[in-house]
Amino acid sequence: MIEAVGLSKNYGRTRAVDDLSFEVRSGVVTGFLGPNGSGKSTTMRMVLGLDRPTAGTVTVDGRHYHDLKWPLREVGALLEANAIHPGRSARNHLLSLAQSNAIPGARVDEVLGLVGLDAVAGRKAGKFSLGMSQRLGIASALLGDPGVLLFDEPVNGLDPEGILWVRTLLQSLAGEGRTIFVSSHLMSEMALTATDLVVIGRGRLIADTTVDDFISSNTEATVLVRSPEVDRLAGVLTSIGASVAHRGNGALLVTKAFPSVIGDAAHTAGIALHELTPQQASLEQVFMDLTSDAVDYHGGAPRTIDEVPS
Amino acid sequence: MTTVTLPLPPTGTGRAGIRHVIRSEWTKLRSVRSTWIALAVVVVAGIGLSALVSSIEAGRWAGLGPADRAQFDPVRFSQTGVFLSQFVVGVIGALIVTSEYSTGSIRTTLASMPRRTTVLAAKGIVIAAAVFVITELTAFISFFVSQAVLTAHGAKALPAGSSIVTQVRSPVIPVVTITDSGAFRAVFLCGVYLTLLTLMAVGIGFALRHTAGAISLYVGLLLVIPLVIQILPSSISGSIEKFLPSNLGLAMVLVTTRKTDFAGVLLTPWAATGLLALYTAGVVVLGAWALLRRDA
Repeated sequence: MIEAVGLSKNYGRTRAVDDLSFEVRSGVVTGFLGPNGSGKSTTMRMVLGLDRPTAGTVTVDGRHYHDLKWPLREVGALLEANAIHPGRSARNHLLSLAQSNAIPGARVDEVLGLVGLDAVAGRKAGKFSLGMSQRLGIASALLGDPGVLLFDEPVNGLDPEGILWVRTLLQSLAGEGRTIFVSSHLMSEMALTATDLVVIGRGRLIADTTVDDFISSNTEATVLVRSPEVDRLAGVLTSIGASVAHRGNGALLVTKAFPSVIGDAAHTAGIALHELTPQQASLEQVFMDLTSDAVDYHGGAPRTIDEVPS
Repeated sequence: MTTVTLPLPPTGTGRAGIRHVIRSEWTKLRSVRSTWIALAVVVVAGIGLSALVSSIEAGRWAGLGPADRAQFDPVRFSQTGVFLSQFVVGVIGALIVTSEYSTGSIRTTLASMPRRTTVLAAKGIVIAAAVFVITELTAFISFFVSQAVLTAHGAKALPAGSSIVTQVRSPVIPVVTITDSGAFRAVFLCGVYLTLLTLMAVGIGFALRHTAGAISLYVGLLLVIPLVIQILPSSISGSIEKFLPSNLGLAMVLVTTRKTDFAGVLLTPWAATGLLALYTAGVVVLGAWALLRRDA
């Protein structure tokens, strides 16, 4: 379990993370969602003790990261895929990590096989594609067989097959009872991968919920209706309390009424319906609506928060 | 994919400590080619330059006046390669730190060992051990090769108990054996000098984090500051120059006279070693302070 309490981080005068409190439970994949620059990476670095919080605390299974006896055996992390000396082979990179926590050398080949890099284990990491680097990063996170795993944007640079592989991997790791905390700026990806959801914008907590609740509570039920008598139908639906928006071509977008209510009302009024389709607002749309005032830089605007301060 | 991970055997007691990080850092050091290239340069250029300079100096002996003959130092000539090696080891020392910052792998390193001074200590121990072994080896080989070169030019060992006076009056080029007074110490201290400088570069690397900045500062300390100080009035420069790292290095390898025409009377070899160690400790503490205080 990861527990953040009142976590804040200032870089100079910029507040990158602002009074963030959340819990990540074990056994499920928890998505960490937010636009670019919202403080996800900063938060993850604070979990790992790399950045010192300005205020608040974050603990892993009740302990500060600094107090872990064998850090890599307890917490695994993928932060940046390319954070490897370009002249070092994948195997030597993993071997050096393994040695730092007394992990047997045989484990290196095991995780290389697990991520499908065994054939290129001796090749220099600098020659790796982004997708291969991601796999190597995942291998290093799994090296110590840890109970808590953090992945910062793990599907970046992966092809569809790789994305599916990561999704399956995360879920099966969670199925083994591990704590899986995975960040993304893509709501659709999280909807497919995660069970729980921590949503932040501008470093502030926006939602700490489950994916299902998040979608249902933030999505307004909308129904698309087509009819040859669209104007009369609009009048009827308004009279029963629904809101109606004309979409042209004989189509109406109806909210505040279930499809069954709409169909019955049309039938009673003797209006023919050509289409009656429940709509689900796109998840990306929900996410963008929710975080729109929390996005720091729309196109062209000056950047105020550094996602990765040097 | 049926099994995601195979469980590791339990660790038992204890915790990740410096011996684990030392093994890890050694793997890192040996697994990049630049380490081996740099160390090869230290060995080859070290021995080659020393042999070359010994040969040139031997050729000049006949035409030297008494003052120059007093400074004719077969031991120092045998260690001329140090002038080049000091920059090579500085680059290795700085790079083992700054390359981690430029790639971002320092975060992986610090996540695997959150006690940061342990990381600094392990890096320092590994690189110091590697440089010490290589530079001592080079220093002693250089010494024997250079004395052989001098002998080939007709050099002869001075009689036992001979002094500077004997050397100035000697008709033949002097050559020394490793058992001569001060010779072993001078050769041995060459490796110590280069090892201390390597550690200083490690400290600079942690303090500055950027490769270009760290190497510039290191080169500046050894090359630029002496030049700047030479511009100062001699009343000021004369009292400072013997405390500069490069002149401490010279003081560590001298066996003839400690009087120089550019830095006054140099410190004794052991005093110079002590002072350089103090400088190094200061810079390393500065690096540790930056490592502990700043976000990774």
